[in-house]
Amino acid sequence: MAKKAFITGITGQDGSYLAELLLVNGYEVHGIVRRASTFHTTRLDHIKFGSDSKKERLFLYYGDMTDSSNLNRVLERVQPEEIYNLAAQSHVQISFEVPEYSAEVDGIGVLRLLDAIRETKLKTKFYQASSSELFGKVAEKIQSESTPFYPRSPYAAAKLFGYWIVVNYREAYNLFACNGILFNHESPRRGENFVTRKVTSGIAQILAGKTDHITMGNMDAQRDWGFAPEYVEIMWKMLQAPAPTDYVVGTGRKHSVKEFIESAFAYAGLDWRKHVKQDARFMRPTEVDELQADPSKAVRELGWSPKVGFEELVMIMVDADMRTLGLKPVGKGDKFIKEAFPSRWWGID
Amino acid sequence: MSKRALITGVCGQDGAYLSQLLFEKGYEVFGLDMNTDSQACWRLNYLDVYSKVKFIQADMADGKALLEAVASSSPAEIYNLAAHSSPGSSFRLPVECGEITGLGFVRLLEAAREAAPQARIFQASTRDLFGAGDGSAYNEGQPFNPANPYAAAKLYAHWMARIYRESYGMFICNGIMFNHESPLRGIEFVTRKITDAVARISLGKESRLALGNISAKVDWGYAPEYMQAAWRMLQQDAPDDYVVATGQVHSVEEFARRAFQVAGLKWSEYVESDPALMRPTDIVVQKGDYSRARARLDWEPRVKFDRLVEIMVKEDLKRWKRHLNGERFPWDVSET
Repeated sequence: MAKKAFITGITGQDGSYLAELLLVNGYEVHGIVRRASTFHTTRLDHIKFGSDSKKERLFLYYGDMTDSSNLNRVLERVQPEEIYNLAAQSHVQISFEVPEYSAEVDGIGVLRLLDAIRETKLKTKFYQASSSELFGKVAEKIQSESTPFYPRSPYAAAKLFGYWIVVNYREAYNLFACNGILFNHESPRRGENFVTRKVTSGIAQILAGKTDHITMGNMDAQRDWGFAPEYVEIMWKMLQAPAPTDYVVGTGRKHSVKEFIESAFAYAGLDWRKHVKQDARFMRPTEVDELQADPSKAVRELGWSPKVGFEELVMIMVDADMRTLGLKPVGKGDKFIKEAFPSRWWGID
Repeated sequence: MSKRALITGVCGQDGAYLSQLLFEKGYEVFGLDMNTDSQACWRLNYLDVYSKVKFIQADMADGKALLEAVASSSPAEIYNLAAHSSPGSSFRLPVECGEITGLGFVRLLEAAREAAPQARIFQASTRDLFGAGDGSAYNEGQPFNPANPYAAAKLYAHWMARIYRESYGMFICNGIMFNHESPLRGIEFVTRKITDAVARISLGKESRLALGNISAKVDWGYAPEYMQAAWRMLQQDAPDDYVVATGQVHSVEEFARRAFQVAGLKWSEYVESDPALMRPTDIVVQKGDYSRARARLDWEPRVKFDRLVEIMVKEDLKRWKRHLNGERFPWDVSET
């Protein structure tokens, strides 16, 4: 019988990739979707309307991280062997506008899920999407599992709450639960209000003549950026490990937002100085200056070895955004994916 | 005009002592709690300040009510003492605990940011943030390691205090309070459970006392002094976080020994160990380093362990004697 997985946040970048990976691995995949006045399941459309049989193993339910009884009911019905909690109000700057909601979803939401597991007496493994934002104003230049946390936003504080709840439940109830402390991971499916995608989709729009500039906030922030499909593979691996623990996952390199902008514009044959404006409105009240992962534990225990580096990520994302707008991609990103991932499991951009 | 203060959780142990302190200093005190009737606020009655508090009945789960509370009291100082304050029960009711202890504070912060951005805010943080101690003394710079949902929620609030301080320049202090006890401590806490039992045993109303992990070592101070420290934090030029503690640890066993001794009894004849009373993840050996509070707040704990236990036992003895004499007064113990 097919293994059953339950994914919260299945409509997001990570959720949609993970659903695809698990379907390819033979799982039955169940996920919850928030009700909204507009459809927001577009990242799953290519599975739902695809020609192969995978779609028969994908099940979506209405659900919400703020609704305990709903979570109980869905879990009771699905009886999953693995749960991936990816649902979040995941935008750092927006969390300053909606701090309470961010904590309801990102913090208490974890509690609701774990409590539902305990109440329904489910035997399940649990993955929690933790974040490099926990390190915030970094206590160590390069951050590993033992680096003390210093959250700098309502998002990070809520995620830290969730992190500790997972540790508490693992220790108090022997639950197989893992925190994946994932550093930034991007892709053509990244939301357009996140900095990388804002840049690459902006470039495509400039090339298509729809606009002549993009407006950025702080360009000095440095991040450790990787490619999302590789990060969802590691989520799955964490739950197949012999024992539950927490892992830092990143590329181990860092680059500034400015470098991302320079590389992306140069790749598209544009001079970034002519197209980038800066506006203080896009700055966070408190910034996280630099993040860089020390993923050695994941390398050692899970065989983590990401193929996509910074330059490749930029090319992949620019190519995809050009294609979306009907332009002919530069092509190096597409070529790289073909060569590096001969048995690619994820569908279109 | 007198200074105004808003206290959440005003009917708790700390709320009562803080109200008393602020009245002595000439403040006008607005007290917020879920239930503000005379019995629920027996501690305020006990200190004879109940009639002076201007009550606001509100729930920390209700952001709009908190906004109204802040707007209508327009306080110069806000003390957030409201919490689900028992780590043990936080494993039974984790969501409720997180809602009140963690998110309650962010609702209050948002209310203050909106209606009283200049107010100085005290957040009751806790030694539970540090988790299981290793015997060394904890100061404000030590990494956190919360061991239960209550501690995780308190840690969330602790960080939100710092984030609002750094992001919006608000005057917010975390008081990382180590255990602080008094005759007004809730009966569900081990210290008061012991002193109440000792009083009853001494008066022949009870014959045994069941305790959980009696080897746990705790840094215990006297609650009224800790509220002095909280008040002083808000009188500084700049906001910061402060550990408030005695720097000395004693085991639950020592507490019980001393309590029975105060009543002239031998503890070993009455105390039984009960594994059911142990928490899923229990905390051992933890003491605070209050150097910063001493240096900057000129704060020093005066009531030490032996005296603390004595104060508590004598007060519970006095209550039980009055009660058995037929006197009726505000109290949290009802005779069965």
